[in-house]
Amino acid sequence: MSHDNQQAEVTFLWNGAPIRARQGDCVAAALWRAGITTLARSRKIHRPLGYSGSYPTGVLARVNGRPNVRLDQVSVQDGLVVEMQNTWPSPRFDLLKLAQFLPPKLVYGGFEHGAWMPKTGPAYRFAERAMANLAGVARPADVTIQPSPIPGERVAVDCLVVGGGPAGISEANRRARLGETVALVTRGDRLARFATAAGAAVEPLSPQVRLFAGMELFGVYRDGALMVGAPHDNRRGAVAFDPRGTVLATGRRSIPPLVRGNQLPGVFDAHSALQLAAVHRVMPGRRVSVVGTGAETELADRLVSLGVDVVHRGPVEELVEITGRSRVTAIRAGAEIRCDAVVHAGPWRIDPSLGFQASGEGMFQMLARPLPDTMSVVGAAALDNERVHARKHLHPGTLICPCMDVTAGELYCHIDEGETDPEVLKRLTSCGMGTCQGFPCWEHMLALLAARIGVEPEAIARPTHRPPRRSITVAQAAGLAALVEPDR
Amino acid sequence: MNKPLPKRAAVVIIGGGVQGLSVAFNLIEQGQRDILVLDAGYWQGGASGRNGTLIRPGFASVAWTELFVLTVNEWRSWSKRLGENVMFTQRGYSVVSEVEKSEAMLLEGLKVQKSLGVNSWMLSRREIDDLLPAINKSRVRAVQHQPEGGVAPHHAVMKGLLAFCQRNGVDVRYRTAISGVERTGPRVSAVLVGDHRIEADCVVACAGPNNPDIAAMAAVPLNGFGMRIEAMALEPTRPLIKPAIALIDSLAYFHQTSRGEVVGGTEVPETPRMSLKVDVPVMVQMAKVYLEMFPQLGEVRILRHWAGQFHASSDYAPLLGEHPDLKDLWFSAGWSYGFAGAPAAGKLLAEAIARGRIDHRMKPFALDRFEKTGPIAEGGIVLA
Repeated sequence: MSHDNQQAEVTFLWNGAPIRARQGDCVAAALWRAGITTLARSRKIHRPLGYSGSYPTGVLARVNGRPNVRLDQVSVQDGLVVEMQNTWPSPRFDLLKLAQFLPPKLVYGGFEHGAWMPKTGPAYRFAERAMANLAGVARPADVTIQPSPIPGERVAVDCLVVGGGPAGISEANRRARLGETVALVTRGDRLARFATAAGAAVEPLSPQVRLFAGMELFGVYRDGALMVGAPHDNRRGAVAFDPRGTVLATGRRSIPPLVRGNQLPGVFDAHSALQLAAVHRVMPGRRVSVVGTGAETELADRLVSLGVDVVHRGPVEELVEITGRSRVTAIRAGAEIRCDAVVHAGPWRIDPSLGFQASGEGMFQMLARPLPDTMSVVGAAALDNERVHARKHLHPGTLICPCMDVTAGELYCHIDEGETDPEVLKRLTSCGMGTCQGFPCWEHMLALLAARIGVEPEAIARPTHRPPRRSITVAQAAGLAALVEPDR
Repeated sequence: MNKPLPKRAAVVIIGGGVQGLSVAFNLIEQGQRDILVLDAGYWQGGASGRNGTLIRPGFASVAWTELFVLTVNEWRSWSKRLGENVMFTQRGYSVVSEVEKSEAMLLEGLKVQKSLGVNSWMLSRREIDDLLPAINKSRVRAVQHQPEGGVAPHHAVMKGLLAFCQRNGVDVRYRTAISGVERTGPRVSAVLVGDHRIEADCVVACAGPNNPDIAAMAAVPLNGFGMRIEAMALEPTRPLIKPAIALIDSLAYFHQTSRGEVVGGTEVPETPRMSLKVDVPVMVQMAKVYLEMFPQLGEVRILRHWAGQFHASSDYAPLLGEHPDLKDLWFSAGWSYGFAGAPAAGKLLAEAIARGRIDHRMKPFALDRFEKTGPIAEGGIVLA
């Protein structure tokens, strides 16, 4: 894959082997450049997972003795020790990946309570221990890693803008011109990453706006009067905001196609494919298929201008299957098209977590309601959700939740017996209880359910979206101790 | 699923959580038939699907310890009796004291536990190293260990109970809220679901935080009120913490689940309220406790944080038995250790309802104890 010799090089270790990388790359991009596509394996069936932009679980690895570090958020450094997790006895000689050849039904319902588990006695205790080792995926942190609380900060502002894209920047600037104190939180390490990668011109952020970059704003508390975010860099402290008003400029994300093979390394969302090509100068693949809900043509043109060989562009509805063993080798969309990467630009959907937290009410079940008056939405996040195309009969091996290894077949087992309540399906299968905490996998679960029972997907109540979905470490949270008093 | 509600049932149980289903299961074993379970929420949507799943036999008072010795014995046989794996695992339960005062309380409790046949002892430093290698020993003053304690994942327990009940003809209806309780003379006679009247010989309220609402519908007094409590789960890792743990001074309890998440909860001095929403202070306090007690958890990420609701009686002890003012209205209420206690409560209530036998282990928890004998003093619970 493409290589730029002008840049300074560093060397880090992947499973003990030295990998040369460009200074400034994230580890995930550096590994992709080096042709290493499988970065993680799903917890039960040990399917290969990689950098996708959609599923954080595909980029979790052990870095310098710390488990579950996101490789798309860590920059390469000389001597960094990166190891694959969920392997045994070692990443280089991994017997667990033989689990790929198990019949999938064996692990329906979570492998810790499959029908074959012994029920009581020493046999159960032994099985439980073995299962805990398998399910835990990652070894605990090295004993030498014992951090202190990372002191946090409390910030009162007139207006908190969440999202550092063009819409967020423009709204933050407008508020600042009105004389409001404004803070802007963006998960990007810099502003407008995706708009810039797509080739758009972006207005600069006013110096009056206090910028919190590389930070995930994850929690809405006290009806929006208290909001909490934490930097991806776990050496920096979390921030508790007291905003008088909040503007959600969180945009929309492309949801992976709901077809078999959608988790294979080589499937990227539009954002991460553009990041790879425009920023890291590494091609998402040698032969790339682009699918979408209308934006695929523009995206494909942009990728071509960045040097990507696009072999197919077409509507996502026509995509039937993505094939490959350990990475994408072809797609079926009418005809079979040989390609080694699939980039999806739609269906575009809003990450519902913050809105749900801000508005959810209920004594027996939390249900989303209209946003409180102190909150508004701008930019793409104010647009409609696009529909996830789902067939009534998906291949049972279609993966819905890569974190917990939940397939369409497992959900069908319950749905076809009459269990159609998403909260119950979640508890029966653990779908959406892993790293992503329900986005994007509940978009798939709800679309699958709606298609199976023949109702409108938007008519089904979503399961509860819960903070902080791994956006804050224990030490970062502990650093807020003196800053947030109980609500008396 | 959609068949109409019956007009009559021998026993109507209000609440399809672990308490209600445990009563139903034990009634079936006692030979009772024609049982209807009504629940306003969804399956596992209440505290039964939101609790810390910790189970232990030993406390500091005779009343609590007798009840929970029974419950541990029941837990041991549930998988077999239900024909479903509830995944109860006796991995041990360690109660950790950080100051002199709570150490003395644990030592006192040990005497009570010994007299009632509970296997428990104070761990030596060496045993702490073996059992809790990752704990920060500089913070530990003493550890009371109960090897027969442990955990049972609530999804497995609820799945087992529901499957048993449905196999045995119990009519279980979720998302079916009752709107009234009808009384005729000195006894309860029916419950109402909207306009629909369901006549009952006996009504058992197992409605968790909504028990006070049920009492109000029946126009009888009930001690206590509903309130929220919060818990959170860390991202999974392979086993680091073996036993279940209660920190008696930090008011925190947690364990590492069989799928690797460290799940636990704590309390902060907020105004009690009913809500399923979470707030920041519990997350922060729990994180502080983890960092101090298990520093290796410091860089682990917090996966999710949720609230559940329970019915807090004024001594945090359960309210078990028939209502003194209204015949045939039974309660399994006031629970703060309700998940752990459900097998005992189900057994004792079912025996009382089906056979009229009031077990001596149930008597101290009578609904009118506050007026008659006073509250139950128990220092070994992690609540304040």
